[in-house]
Amino acid sequence: MLKLKAFHKTSFAVLLIALLLTLTACGNNNSSPSNTSGSSGSQSDTGSSGNSGGSDITLEFQQWWGVELPDGALQEIVDGFTAQTGIKIKLLSNPYADTRTQIAAGAAAGTMADVVGLDGSWVYDFAKQGAIANLTALMEADGYDDSQLSDQIRVDGNTFMIPVVNFAYPMYVNLDLVNEAGVSIPTNWTEFVNVTKTIKEKTGKAGWAIPLSTESPSGIQNNFMSWLWASGGSMLKDGKPNLAGNDDLIATLEFVKQLFDNGVVAQGAYAMKEADMVEEFTNGRVAFMTDSLAHLTTIKSEAPDLNIDFIPIPVKDGYTGKSGMDVANWGIGIAENSKYKAEAMKFIEYMMSPEVNAKLAVLANAFPGNIHAQPDYPADNTLFLKAYEIYQAGYAINEFTGLPTSEELMRQFDEQLQLYLDGDTKTAAEMLEKTQEIWVKAFK
Amino acid sequence: MYVTREGRNDMVGEKKWYLKALAIVVLIFGILYAGFPILWMFLNSFKPNAQIFAWPPVWISESFTLNAYVEIFKDPEKVRYFINSYFIAFVVVVLTIIVSILAAYSFSRFDYPGKKIVNTLIVSVQAVPPIVLLIPYLSLIVTFKLHNTYGALILTYMLLTLSYAIIMLTGYFNTLPKELDEAVMIDGGSRFRALWQILVPLATPGLLAVGMYTFMLSWNEYLFALALTKTNDVRTVPVGISLLMGQHAYEWNQMMAMSVLGSLPILVLFLFFQRYFVAGMTSGAVKH
Amino acid sequence: MKANSINIYKQDAPSLRKKTEPYLYLLPTLLLMCVLLIIPIIMVIRYSFYDNVIINKNPVFVGLENFKLIFENSTFVVAVKNTIVFVGGSIVFHMIFGLAFAVVLNTKYLHRRTKAVSRVLLALPWMFTASVIAILWKMMMNPNGIINYLLSVTNLSSSHIEWLASRDFALFSITFINIWAGYPFYMVSLLAGLQGIPNDLYEAAAIDGANISQRFFRITLPQLKPIIISLVMLDFVWTIQQFALIWMTTGGGPINATEMMSTFIYKLGFSKYEYAQASASAVILLVVCTIVAIFYVRHQRGQE
Repeated sequence: MLKLKAFHKTSFAVLLIALLLTLTACGNNNSSPSNTSGSSGSQSDTGSSGNSGGSDITLEFQQWWGVELPDGALQEIVDGFTAQTGIKIKLLSNPYADTRTQIAAGAAAGTMADVVGLDGSWVYDFAKQGAIANLTALMEADGYDDSQLSDQIRVDGNTFMIPVVNFAYPMYVNLDLVNEAGVSIPTNWTEFVNVTKTIKEKTGKAGWAIPLSTESPSGIQNNFMSWLWASGGSMLKDGKPNLAGNDDLIATLEFVKQLFDNGVVAQGAYAMKEADMVEEFTNGRVAFMTDSLAHLTTIKSEAPDLNIDFIPIPVKDGYTGKSGMDVANWGIGIAENSKYKAEAMKFIEYMMSPEVNAKLAVLANAFPGNIHAQPDYPADNTLFLKAYEIYQAGYAINEFTGLPTSEELMRQFDEQLQLYLDGDTKTAAEMLEKTQEIWVKAFK
Repeated sequence: MYVTREGRNDMVGEKKWYLKALAIVVLIFGILYAGFPILWMFLNSFKPNAQIFAWPPVWISESFTLNAYVEIFKDPEKVRYFINSYFIAFVVVVLTIIVSILAAYSFSRFDYPGKKIVNTLIVSVQAVPPIVLLIPYLSLIVTFKLHNTYGALILTYMLLTLSYAIIMLTGYFNTLPKELDEAVMIDGGSRFRALWQILVPLATPGLLAVGMYTFMLSWNEYLFALALTKTNDVRTVPVGISLLMGQHAYEWNQMMAMSVLGSLPILVLFLFFQRYFVAGMTSGAVKH
Repeated sequence: MKANSINIYKQDAPSLRKKTEPYLYLLPTLLLMCVLLIIPIIMVIRYSFYDNVIINKNPVFVGLENFKLIFENSTFVVAVKNTIVFVGGSIVFHMIFGLAFAVVLNTKYLHRRTKAVSRVLLALPWMFTASVIAILWKMMMNPNGIINYLLSVTNLSSSHIEWLASRDFALFSITFINIWAGYPFYMVSLLAGLQGIPNDLYEAAAIDGANISQRFFRITLPQLKPIIISLVMLDFVWTIQQFALIWMTTGGGPINATEMMSTFIYKLGFSKYEYAQASASAVILLVVCTIVAIFYVRHQRGQE
């Protein structure tokens, strides 16, 4: 019985302690000044809170960029803003893969940060949801000269997102494999087909890779459509889907199918994500890969002995025009229910100012979003500079940005593509008809 | 009152060699089945990122490195994730066990109107996919001003584990004969006393299983840990692991290392509670 | 004598205290659930009858329209089919492995220390978060991963099997992963149950001359029945909404091969932004699980 009594007493003691702890925990609403829900101190209603040094305003900036940049780099950049205006910036981070879900939930529940990092494919839906604010109006109120912006993502004529930096998707080459197979660099599709075939025969390694995982179907945008865009093609007409009967697309589909049929595409494509593809390339198992320039640092640090280079994406036979290069971007926007929209706009202007923008571009291995920015890329990074040259010789393009339910469109195209590649759908024309039918529903 | 018994299944009689062999075969299969992937994860945490995907696979890298672990311990934010996880898991376990013991007692020993409804409800509410509940639940948490607090996570995890805890404990209590309660009440004790002094100690193996599961769920839960928090000082280990998956750079080895570190407390708990799993019930508990 | 009279006295007067006693024990649970769980669930049910929730500040009431859309959706049918296979396979093998290991961990044939260490090793899959398990297995099931390597080295297979990327293997692969991730739950619960079986039952049976398999099927299993039924039912409800594992390995692909109710709902809600339809699907799941729960509770009643 003694043992039981002790147990009884202990359990009550534990209960008490637990309750105490919980109460302290609830009360201990950690130091984060969630200042979107009102701080006291100097607020300004007009846009010119600018130089009121010692303002009590803290803006929350929600992004995934901090992880991609050198430690503390982003904090340093935003501290520059605080130094200028006295407005503090609190950096919040979410894992990239879940950022969109979190923003959607946050917008509905009112927990969104003032300033948000955005991907181009989310803009349309968030704008329609009323989650992000109209930047055109804010820029006008500030008298901001928006001609310096390389791009603005608009919905119904108003800007909702500004690309801060761009990540281009050039074509990486594994020179070791190319040399081992004794082939030369391809410049058009026919050459590409032959070269990859030879590489596969002589080295047993894959000629090309594409990540087609249904979870993040960005492979459609970055790896498939880049063939189309590099050869001057387009999947839209007047902003609406133009898939059915699109000869350029039919040619692209047949080209890619040929690569698959020849067995030169890296295995596991249907479950592959971009990060997996990069690992395949880093381990020397893929010869050609269209991938984000941002991976250059990772690849070079993980595989310093790998002999890599950049080449212009091979174009459709006979195409001589300029090549469009796929870009993904780090975009920025303002929450609709932020109490400090004017201040937030000031922050965006800061991030887009030529000097800051250039600095960010260098740190991120990306291209600046401000046309006047002169990034000081390290001169010894010859590969990066080569890619920059190729980028500048063409034009930036991403037709998925600003489309309704962009990611879903990519996913639907992905599924139809898989059916076509596997032979379920017999012809490319048929595949495009089906996809067009599905896509059109999103554009109502 | 406690008698430690080992392998009471076939206590009486002969030990057959072929049964022992069978047990060993199953055991070895099980350990390989369970352990090999974990071993692979463990080995990967000591490799530089590139070698994790090498072919042929690298077992132990020549550039064996503790880098991943060092990075984790050096970063106060990451260490904070562990502390948060520990704290939250501990509180959730204690509270859930207490609340579920009470509820299970109610289901096991009483009969009353509405009992079936509540019972059904407790089971079926788990059926709603958390992702659908996310937005309304988040709004509710915000209304209660619990967003980005420990309290939000503690309450949420209690909700997630209560159903299981109550169902399992009801089951365990049901296997304890009512005579035990009555013995206490005849002696003049209250039902409450019967519960805590007799039933709870006897249901210890069940309580431990429930406690183990509750701890594990709180420790490993991701969706709400992410949605209900904003700043890294309240976040838990699963979120921390996810933050290692950037848009462009994946820190594979750190992810593996963090998972290994994350599983250690549970491992320790298991080892620590070994002997309680062994304690059992004797049939002579009720003295006639 | 005294004891009896006290007993009778207590039975005669069902005081208010006695009547409310069971409810008092339930109070904390009810409070928590009603406030934090029932309210959001009701909101979700409400959403399912409107159109354009969340997106639009003024959703329109559309009655059962969303449900109609869901049932007409061909992907929904595939998702249901896959979910049945996934859940069925998981439950069956969770039970088989869980029971087998629990029995082995409880046997007298092994040394105490062996069992202590094994207990921990066998429970390892349970100690990791779903996303980590997904990543780990994705790594291992990579066409150039360790599993294909071992298969090629032991000459069991020459080609690199696309475990997660091929329509033929994907569903099997994720079911396999889920079995691996979930059996420890059964094992630990069943082990606790085995510990609770009174020894004299076995002693009596042995005296009567029962052999091992008879003792197992006539004593062990029936004694474990309440626990087994609880486990199966809980596993059913949990597995049916298993999301993280599937999402991070295959995302529902290739094409629809591993599309489950959970991924279907997620895509509806957060990729197509059709929250109303997502809520409607969730309500369908809720109804199915409530039916299962009703059967379970009826059965429980019978137990007493």
